[in-house]
Amino acid sequence: MAPFVVYDIISENTNLLLAFFIGIGFGFILEQAGFSSSRKLAGVFYGYDTVVLKVFFTAAIVAMLGLLFSSLFGWVDMSMIYVNETYLYSAIVGGVIMGAGFIMGGYCPGTSFCAATIGKIDAIVFIGGMFLGVFIFGEGYPLWEKLYMAEFMGFPKISEYFSLSEGIFVFFVILAAVFMFWGAEWAEKKFPREEY
Amino acid sequence: MSEVRKTKYMNPYLAGVLLGLVVLSANLISGRGLGASGAVKSTIVAAVDAVAPAHAESTEYYVMAKGTHGNPLNNWLVYQMLGVVVGGFLSGVLSRRLTWKVEHNPKITSRTRLMFALAGGLLFGFGSQLGRGCTSGAALSGMAVFSLGGFITMAAIFGTAFGLAYFFRKLWI
Amino acid sequence: MKKFQFTPRQLLSMIILSLGLIIAAVPKNTTTPYKLSAGQILEEMKSGTQYLYPDLIAQMLVEGDPTLQLIDVRPVSEFEKYHLPGALNIPFDDLLSLQFQDILNQDVMMNVLYANGTTRANEAWMLIRQLGYENNYVLSGGLNYWVETILNPQPPAAISPDDEFARYDFRKAASGALGGGAATPAEQQTTTPAAIPRPRPQQKRQAVQGGCS
Repeated sequence: MAPFVVYDIISENTNLLLAFFIGIGFGFILEQAGFSSSRKLAGVFYGYDTVVLKVFFTAAIVAMLGLLFSSLFGWVDMSMIYVNETYLYSAIVGGVIMGAGFIMGGYCPGTSFCAATIGKIDAIVFIGGMFLGVFIFGEGYPLWEKLYMAEFMGFPKISEYFSLSEGIFVFFVILAAVFMFWGAEWAEKKFPREEY
Repeated sequence: MSEVRKTKYMNPYLAGVLLGLVVLSANLISGRGLGASGAVKSTIVAAVDAVAPAHAESTEYYVMAKGTHGNPLNNWLVYQMLGVVVGGFLSGVLSRRLTWKVEHNPKITSRTRLMFALAGGLLFGFGSQLGRGCTSGAALSGMAVFSLGGFITMAAIFGTAFGLAYFFRKLWI
Repeated sequence: MKKFQFTPRQLLSMIILSLGLIIAAVPKNTTTPYKLSAGQILEEMKSGTQYLYPDLIAQMLVEGDPTLQLIDVRPVSEFEKYHLPGALNIPFDDLLSLQFQDILNQDVMMNVLYANGTTRANEAWMLIRQLGYENNYVLSGGLNYWVETILNPQPPAAISPDDEFARYDFRKAASGALGGGAATPAEQQTTTPAAIPRPRPQQKRQAVQGGCS
């Protein structure tokens, strides 16, 4: 039964080794898709390159469907899968700050490591900025501790929040995504940039 | 014609399917999704602990982060990120995309680009700690398990970026 | 002959829409998986190691053994009329209800299920054993046998072996402590030493800690 490490099908050390290989897959695919280029990443916000939208939503949908079908066939114990915690205010404020960082820096943490490894100096600088940012957060922690710990809602699932079954929720996400894929196609024709 | 246009990248939909399978396998094998910013945090905690252990003992954040288990670097996320570096490099080698360069919009200078990269990184580093994740950990992996927090953070990141796009357009277009 | 050529986008969209329709329509799988196979549970049932006898339980009660947890699987009304000292009531129909899982699925106490006879309690045991829960036992003979042996013990025939007399003495004393009818003033009694099963730690699945923080 999955998850394998929880059901002792693999040991903790094997788990860490597999984490390394999963990372290789992650990095390889990101770079192959072009996420190592900040201009491609930022393109989704201006319409000239919507690779972020296509890859992101396709990946999320494939993962969601994969988990739901695995659960349906009894292959995975969903109660043992980690669901991200929800601290309402810090999730929003953190997201806003990250959004600003994204549009300014053109990277996110995962893609910046990919880009740095193929020689993009701006990615290396971005990573440096990240370390600084984390350090500042840690040093000044008491200043924002209240915000960080506010409004803990547990580990709710968004499908529960809207009182939908997970399957129905995924279906809506898929509808939205398909709509956006067609929109992306239109945007790339409307806002073309030859050089980037 | 710039080199990016000429560069052969993988079909985005195919890449998305493969990435989704990677996220799925992470969940099936390790019971958790991917991530990135957490590894940065672990590195900082380990570094501060090594360089100034007294300070690490007395500062609440590092004490909290270190928890009860040993080396903060001996965790799933750090090993995953090491893999990301290797994987990205392999892809770069295979597709012959290894070059040192500062990638920027020709309308701005390298210096401008680097300054904003630094600023962007700073904001992202700070924001990812506050938001308990980044686009990989909170948004992508969070979406995969239907986490409400994940969706909220994702909406905030992309919503803000779209909202601010007009003000930073000179950087990109 | 016209060949149907789809762009990747169209192909992908069709596939995910179809899969999405299926997953939205199919009801969720909410079964709790069985941890023991049918063969494994058959072996355990054949060995009968889940049965505990009244003498042992009486001994544990008298000694005040903290690891004993009696669980009454009869309906609430019967529980309220009479129940063994310290017993919890988990009515048979509510055996799988969420509130009781932490009591049944643990490794600190020895749960001894009982009912009026053996059958109900053993059925309960079979069910939760298949879910992989450990440290659950069945009071053999149930309350009926308990009353017969502990609360109202019959003196053995004069020609019976000594250990039967010892057992009888123990039961008389125990019945006094446990509210029976054949109470006699406290006297020297030899408690039958018995192997008291100890709670076994069981593998509790640890949920994974993940996330980027």
